[in-house]
Amino acid sequence: MSVGSHPTNEAAARAGVLGDPRLEETITDFFLPDDSRLDERARLLLGSVLGSIVGAVEADVRRHAARLLSGRGADRKADALLAARTDVLARLSAAGLLRDSELMEELLGRVRAELLADALPVAIDMPDAPSLLVRLTALPDTVVAAAATALLVQENRRGNLVEHKHAVGAELPAELHHRLVWWVAAAIREGVAADADTDRAIGEAAQRSLAAHDESERVEAVAVRLAAAIDPLPDEVPVLMVEAIGDRRLSLFIAVLARALDIDFDAARALVIEPRGERLWPALRAVGLDRPSIARIALSLADADPRRDIEQFADQLDGIAAIAAEAARAALAPLSLPRSFRSAIRALARSAQG
Amino acid sequence: MDAHATVAHATLDGEGLLLAAEFPFGELNARAGGAIARPLALAPVATVARLARRLGIIVSRGVVVADEEADLELWVRAQPDGDGVRLAISGWRERSAWAPVDGVDESHPDFLRDHGDWAWEADAGLRLTRVSIEAGRRHGFDAIGLLGEPITSLFALATSNGAVPLVEALARREPLKGQPAKLRSNDTPVLLSATVRRDAAGRFGGFVGLVHEEPPAPAAPPPPLAAEFTAGLDKALRRPLAQIIANADSINAATDGPVPPDYADYAADIANAGRHLLALVDDLVDLEAIERPDFLLAAEPIDLADVARRAAGLLAVRAIDKDVVIDRPPTGTQLAAVGDFRRSLQILVNLIGNAVRYAPAGSIVVVSAVSGAGRASITVTDEGKGIAAEDQARVFDKFERVDPTEAGGNGLGLYIARRLARAMGGDITLTSTPGQGARFTLTLPAGAA
Repeated sequence: MSVGSHPTNEAAARAGVLGDPRLEETITDFFLPDDSRLDERARLLLGSVLGSIVGAVEADVRRHAARLLSGRGADRKADALLAARTDVLARLSAAGLLRDSELMEELLGRVRAELLADALPVAIDMPDAPSLLVRLTALPDTVVAAAATALLVQENRRGNLVEHKHAVGAELPAELHHRLVWWVAAAIREGVAADADTDRAIGEAAQRSLAAHDESERVEAVAVRLAAAIDPLPDEVPVLMVEAIGDRRLSLFIAVLARALDIDFDAARALVIEPRGERLWPALRAVGLDRPSIARIALSLADADPRRDIEQFADQLDGIAAIAAEAARAALAPLSLPRSFRSAIRALARSAQG
Repeated sequence: MDAHATVAHATLDGEGLLLAAEFPFGELNARAGGAIARPLALAPVATVARLARRLGIIVSRGVVVADEEADLELWVRAQPDGDGVRLAISGWRERSAWAPVDGVDESHPDFLRDHGDWAWEADAGLRLTRVSIEAGRRHGFDAIGLLGEPITSLFALATSNGAVPLVEALARREPLKGQPAKLRSNDTPVLLSATVRRDAAGRFGGFVGLVHEEPPAPAAPPPPLAAEFTAGLDKALRRPLAQIIANADSINAATDGPVPPDYADYAADIANAGRHLLALVDDLVDLEAIERPDFLLAAEPIDLADVARRAAGLLAVRAIDKDVVIDRPPTGTQLAAVGDFRRSLQILVNLIGNAVRYAPAGSIVVVSAVSGAGRASITVTDEGKGIAAEDQARVFDKFERVDPTEAGGNGLGLYIARRLARAMGGDITLTSTPGQGARFTLTLPAGAA
C-alpha cells in the first residue's frame, strides 16, 4: 500500500509539507511592534463592542423578519428563522468581512479612546462643586444645557453597554452601519433554508433597521454638537480643553479640538489616542494652547496610559512650545479634508504600495 | 496633632538640591540619608519635583516612601517657583511595609460586575454621573432623568449605628461601605458601597459605587463561620491529618526498620505540623459552636480542683520535655463550682499549656485553687517573660497573638477559652508584669460544698 492512498496519511503528508498554518500567524504576532499590538484590555473590549453591535443588529433583523413572515401567514418559516442557530459574528469573521479597515479603524479608535478616558485621573478645581458636564447641563443657555444633557445620557448609555453587553441605539456612523446590516442579513439568510418569502422578509427587516438608524445619537456626534453649542472663543478653547480632560470627558475634549482645528471627530480622536502624541502636540499648538496647558494635558494622558513617557515628553516640551501656531495649522491641513476623501487617498496609497 | 493633616513645606533649587525642609519632612529625608544642600534622598518625591520643574506646571502625586519599618503614603504637591520648586507634603499615612502594593482595583468595571448588583457614579458635588438603565427599568426610576441630579434623588440614605456612612466616607476620603438606603422609586432596601475617586492632589473627586440589593439583615449578622463549613472541614481534614500524624510518628520511631536520622527528624516535623493543624480544626469547630446565638453549656456541680489536677496531668509529659515543673493543687483539696466538666478541662489545659510553653527551663508553673464571694477560681502562674499592659486585652481577641513570630498556637485558644468561661457564667482574667511572668485566673460560680 502506498502512503498516499490512505486518506489520513494524505492529510498527514500535506500537513508535513505545509506545516501548521497557525505558526505563521504566531510569528507575525510576535514581531508586531508594540505600538501596533492590541493589549489585552483593548482586545477584550473590542471583542465585546463588536459582539454587542453585531448581536443587536442581528436581533433586530431576525425578529422583525420573523414578525413579517408570521404576519403573512408563514408561521413555520418565521419559527425556522427564529430557531436558526447561526453564529453571525463567527460567520462574518471567518468570511473576513469584519476585517474591513474602515470599520476596524472606527471601532479601534473608539475602544482606545474609551480605555484612555476610563483611566484618566480626575482633576478638581473647586472642591465639592459639580463636575464640568453636570454644570453645563444646568446652564440657562438651553442649547448648551440640552447638548450637555445628551452627552451625559449617551456616555451613561455606553457605560451600560459595556456592563450589560447589549447595544441599544446607534453605535456606528451611517455608512458603516449600512454595510454591517447587509452583511448580517446575508449571514442570517445563510443559516436558514432560504426561499423567496424569507429573503423578502429579511431584506425588508434590514431596510427597517437602516431607516431607524440615527447616527446623531452617537456619543461622538453628541460631543460634536455640545462643542458647537458652546462655540468657545479662541481664547476659551485652552481652558475648556483642560477642564474637559480634568472631568474625564475625553469625548468633549476631542470634539473641542476637532472644532478648533476644523477637522472631523475621528481625525481628532486619532491624534489623541496616538501613544507618542507626535501629531497631538503640534495640534494643540495650532489651536493656541500655551506651554503649561499642553504640559497639563500631557501629564493627564501619561497618567492614563502607561505607554506614554512623560520624561520623553518633558525633553520635547521646549521644542513643542516653540512651534508657531500658524506653522502647526499648515502642517495639519491634510486632516481637514473630508473623511471619505482621506480614506480614498489612503486606499490609493495602499494599492500603490501593494 | 493629627498626623494626616500635617502639611510640611520644602524648597529645592534649580539643580534639585534641598534648600529648606519643615518638620517632619526634613527628618524623614534625613533618615533616608539626605541633607540640606544635597539632592532629595526620597526618590519618588524627587521625581515629582523634577517633573514639575521640567514641565513648568504644578504636579501633584500620591507617592509611597519607605521609612524604617513601615511605608508612608504621602501626597506631594510640587510647584515651580523661579528656577526651583516648592513642595507641600501631606498625607503621612503609614502602611505596613509588607502590604501588597497593588490591591484589587475595586473601581474597575469587571470587579463591579462580579461583586455587586449594579453600578452608580457621582462627581465631587455628589451629582450622579452614572446610573444603571437596566436597574431603572426594574425599579421604575428614570435613569436618564437622574443624571446630573444629587445622589439623594435616587437613594434615601439611612443611618447605621447612629451615623451616615456616606458622610464619614466623604470626611475621611475613605471607601464607602455598608450605607443603608432605600430606592426613592419603590422603597427597595439596598446597601451602597463605593470607592473614592481622588485627584492627583488627593482631593475628593467623586464616588465609583455599587448598589447591593437584598442586603443582609443588620439585626442578625451571619456567624463568621457557617456550621456546614466547619462540619465539612472537620470531616474532610480530621481523618487524613490523623493518618499523616500516625504515619509520621511511626517513621520517626523507626518502627518499620532503620531510618536515617535526618529523615526521622523530618518525620517528627511533619507529625508536629499535623498536630498543629488538627488543633486548628478543633478550634475552628469550637469557634463555630460558641459563636452561634443558641450556644449553651451544661451547669452541673464540678470539683474545679480535680479538673485542674487532671489538666496538669495531661500536660505532664510536655512539662518534663521543657524541664518545667507544674505545681498542682494537692490531692484531696476540693473546689466546688458550677459548670461544664469537659469545657472547664479544655480551658485549664489551654491555660496551663500556654504557661508551660512560655515558662523558662527550670522554672515552676503554679496552679492554685481559691474560693470566696460565691466564686471558685483556679490561678495559673508562670515565670515567663510576661505580657505588656497594652497587649493584655488583645491576647483574648480572635487570631491575636502577642508575638506572632513565636512557634505554636493559632491565636484562637484564649479567645475560645474566655468565650467558654463566660458561657458558664464565669470569666478569665489576666494580670502580668513584663519580665515577671503572667497570671491567668479562671473564675466560675461557686457550687454547694
